[in-house]
Amino acid sequence: MSGQPAGEPQRLPWAAWIRAEEEPSAIPDRPEALDDLMVLDLSHGHYGALLAATYLAELGAEAIKVEPPGGEPARQWGPADASVNGEGLAFVAEARNRYHLTLDLGTREGRRLLKGLAARADVLVEGFAPGYLDRFGLGYRQLGRLNPRLIYVACSAYGQFGPLAPGQPAEYDLTDQALSGLLHVTGDPDSPPVKVGSWMSAYAQAAWATVATLGALHWRERSGQGQMIDVSGAEALMRYLDYAVLLYHATGQVRGRTGLYEIAVFPYTFVRVKDGWAFIAGYTDPNFGALCRIMGRPELATDPRFGTTLQRTTMANELQLREEIEKWSVDYTAAEILEKVLADPGPGIVVFGPMNPPTRTLAESHWWERGCFRKLADPVYGELLLQMPAWRMTRTPPRVKWPCRPAGYHTAHLLQRYFGVGPRRLTELRDHGVV
Amino acid sequence: MANPREYFRWAAKLFDPSRLHEKPEALAGIRVLDLSVIYFGPAPADYLGELGAEVIKVEMPGQGDVTRILGNASFFWQNVSVAFFCANHSKYHVGIDMHKPGGQALIRQLAARSDIVVENFRAGTLEEKFGLGYRQLREVNPRLVYVANTGFGQWGPFSQGRASYDGLAQAVSGLTAITGEGEIPTKIGNYIGDWFGASMSALAALAALHWRDRTGEGQFVEMAQCEGLLRAMDWTWLYAGLTGRDRQKAGNGDHVFAPSGVYRCKDGYMAIVAGTEREFKGLCRLIGRPTLEQDPRFVSRETRRQSASARALDALIAAWCLGRTRAQVEAAARKAGVAAAPVMTAKDHAESAHLRERRSVWEHDDPVYGPMLEYGPAPKLSATPARIKWAGKPVGFHNDFVLRRILGLGEARIRELSAEGAIGQWADGRRGACPPGSWKGEGRLV
Repeated sequence: MSGQPAGEPQRLPWAAWIRAEEEPSAIPDRPEALDDLMVLDLSHGHYGALLAATYLAELGAEAIKVEPPGGEPARQWGPADASVNGEGLAFVAEARNRYHLTLDLGTREGRRLLKGLAARADVLVEGFAPGYLDRFGLGYRQLGRLNPRLIYVACSAYGQFGPLAPGQPAEYDLTDQALSGLLHVTGDPDSPPVKVGSWMSAYAQAAWATVATLGALHWRERSGQGQMIDVSGAEALMRYLDYAVLLYHATGQVRGRTGLYEIAVFPYTFVRVKDGWAFIAGYTDPNFGALCRIMGRPELATDPRFGTTLQRTTMANELQLREEIEKWSVDYTAAEILEKVLADPGPGIVVFGPMNPPTRTLAESHWWERGCFRKLADPVYGELLLQMPAWRMTRTPPRVKWPCRPAGYHTAHLLQRYFGVGPRRLTELRDHGVV
Repeated sequence: MANPREYFRWAAKLFDPSRLHEKPEALAGIRVLDLSVIYFGPAPADYLGELGAEVIKVEMPGQGDVTRILGNASFFWQNVSVAFFCANHSKYHVGIDMHKPGGQALIRQLAARSDIVVENFRAGTLEEKFGLGYRQLREVNPRLVYVANTGFGQWGPFSQGRASYDGLAQAVSGLTAITGEGEIPTKIGNYIGDWFGASMSALAALAALHWRDRTGEGQFVEMAQCEGLLRAMDWTWLYAGLTGRDRQKAGNGDHVFAPSGVYRCKDGYMAIVAGTEREFKGLCRLIGRPTLEQDPRFVSRETRRQSASARALDALIAAWCLGRTRAQVEAAARKAGVAAAPVMTAKDHAESAHLRERRSVWEHDDPVYGPMLEYGPAPKLSATPARIKWAGKPVGFHNDFVLRRILGLGEARIRELSAEGAIGQWADGRRGACPPGSWKGEGRLV
C-alpha cells in the first residue's frame, strides 16, 4: 500500500493532501455553494424549520429570519440554569448567519412587506400549523402565484395532507420520536421506552427539508418551476428506522427494545471499562476473530455459541458474549483498550471508543483540529462555544459567519435594501407596530 | 380568508399520491456511482435515487454488500436479509471486483460518466489500494462531486486506523451521555448515526451539485458519522462552554418543556408534551384537573420545569393515562389542543392509513421479491415527488444493462472481463447475494 502508482510524480500522501484542501483556517477564503440564494425563515417556535434555514445559511444562502416584534417563542428555549443575553441556549446555538427582521404579520403592511420579500425569495421555510399562513394569504397557494420559482417548505408533525393532517397538534421532538417508532425500540425490554437526548427529530426534519429543497432547486434550474415541500418531523425520523416495517411485513416480527443487545449484529454494545463505559463491536467473522485475539481469548472465535454471525445473534448467546467481553474490559481503561485495538495487525478490525460525556469530547484535540467546534468572541453575545457545520467541502466549505442576533437587529438594513425604506418611513412603521 | 378544510382539500390535491408516478423527478439525468457498503454510504446514494438520480451500485462479485447477510436467522427472507433493502432502492446492481485491473478500468469509465461518486471506505483506501480515489477520478471527470463518508473524517488524529459504526458515533460524540437516565448507557435503538449522517451527506452532495450547476466545478465532499451526531446536540456545547458542566440526562423529560413524558396506557405508551400556556391549560382540562393551572407549582413555564413540579405533573398524567387506550388519549388530547402521540411500533406503521396515504409507508410489487412494504421517502415534493421504483436486487443483477447500455461494451470484452474475474454476479446458493429460489428470470433488463 505505497500509495504511489508507478510512473507518477511524487506527491503528498492522501491524508496530508486532503487536510490542506480542507484546512479550516482557509475556509473564509473560499466561495460559498449557495450564496446566490435568498431564504426566508418564518420558523416560529419550531426548531426543525429553524434548523433547515440554518443549514442553508451555513452553505452560503442569505437567510432572513422574520419574527414578530419582541421576538419569536424559540428565543426563550434553553436549559433553566444558563442563558445568553437573556435568551435560551437552544436558540442562540442555532440561529446563526441570519439577517434578523421583525414584522407583524397581523398588520396589512406587515403582510405586504412579507409578500415583497417572498416575491424575490428562492426558498421559504415555515413550521406553523398546516394552513395557518394560508389563512393570512401567505401560504404556498398565494405566494407560489406571486413567485412561481419559490420553493416553499412547510414543516409539521403529521404533514400537510393525509387523514391525520387536519386538526393536528403542535410538533414536539418527543411526540415525533414516539410516532417515528424510534422510542419503541430504544431502552430496555422491561422498562418504558427512552427518547434520544437531543432534539434529534428536528435535526432529521431539517436534513430532509434541505435535501428536498436542494433537489427542488436542481429541478428549478431545468424547469424554472418552484414547488411546495412537506416534511413531517415524525416521518423524517421514521425513515431512519432501519428495516423495521419490512421485517414486520416479511416475518411478522415487531421489533422491540433490546437494551444493550442487538437483533441484527453482535457484538455491537456498550461494556464497562475501568474508567467508565465504552462501545465495542466486531460482528463479522473476521472482526469477531480480531476481538477474540485482542482479548487474548482466541478460543471464543470457534466456540459453538459464538462461532458464526447466526450463533452470535441469538439473545441467549448475546448475553453470554457480552459478559465474556466485560470480564476482560473492566480491567483496562478505555485508552488502554484503544491502544490494543490500534496495535492489532489484523485480519479484521474492532470498532472501539469511550462513552464520552460532552466535556470529555471537548477535551479531545481531534475535533478541534478538524474545526468541529469554535469559540467565537461575539460583540453582542460574548464568548460562545459553538458546533460548526458538519460537512467538509474542498471548493465551497460551509461556515459560521456570525452567531445569533437580537430580534430585528437587521430590520433597518433589510427594509432599506429591499424596499428603499429610509429612517423617516422606518419610524412610521415602528410607530404603527409593523416592525 | 380561506377555511382550513378548504386548505386541506387543496393540499391533498397538490400532493395527490395517486398521481405521483406521472410527475417528473427532480434529479432525472443525474448519475450516482455507489461504491459503498452497509448503510452510511449506500443510504445517501439511495436518498439521491429517491429524488430521481440513476444509481449504479457496485458490489464484490459472489458476496456483495454485508447487509445482505446481516441479522439473526429470522431476518432471512427469499435468500436475503431484510436489512439489505432499506438503503438500496431503485438501484442498478453491478458486480465488479475492484482488485482486478479490468475492474478498476470499469470504475474509471463509470466515474467518467457519473455526476456523483459515493464511497465509505476507510480514509485513503480507494486511492492507496485501488487507484480510484478522488485525485484519480477527477482526472477522468473534473465535474465530479466525490462524496466520502467515514467515522472520524479523512484526516486528523482519530482518522488513521480507526473504523466506526453508528454505535461508536453515539458513544464518542457525547450523545449517549445525554440520553436516557441513570448510569447504564442507553444504546439508541436504530442506526441513527448512519442514517442522519447519510441525509447530511446527501444534502452536501446536492449543495455541491448546485455549485456545479453554477460553475461547472466538481469537488470533494466529506461527512463523518461522529461529527454528524455532534452537530445534532443542540445546546449541549454552548452550555458546556458557558458553565464548564455536562448537560444532565433528562430521560423522557425535557430541559425546556414541562410536562414532557412517556406514559403507560392500556395498550402501549403515549408521549405527551405541553410546552405553551395554552397547551398546559388544555392538559389540565384533559386530565380533569382544571384548577392545576393556578397551583403555584405550575403557574408558569419556569415553575413547571423545576424538578419537583415536573415530577408531580408526571404522576398526575401517568395516573390519568393508565386506564385509557392510546387511541382514547390521542383523540381527547387533540380536542384539548395538547400534543400527544402514540409510541408507534412497526406494526402500527404498517397499519396506519395516514402513513400509507402519504406513502411514508410504501407498498410496491417487485418483479423479483413480490409485494414489499418499506419506509418511503420522507420529504414530499409537490412537483417532483420522491419515489421507490423497485427493490434492491441480487449481486450483479444489472451487469448487462450497466456494461452494455451505459458503457457500451461488446460481447468479446464482457467475456474477457468475466474470464479475468473483473466482473461477476451472485454465486448460486450463496445466501444474501443470490435471487430467491422461486425466481424465474423476471425483471432482467438485457
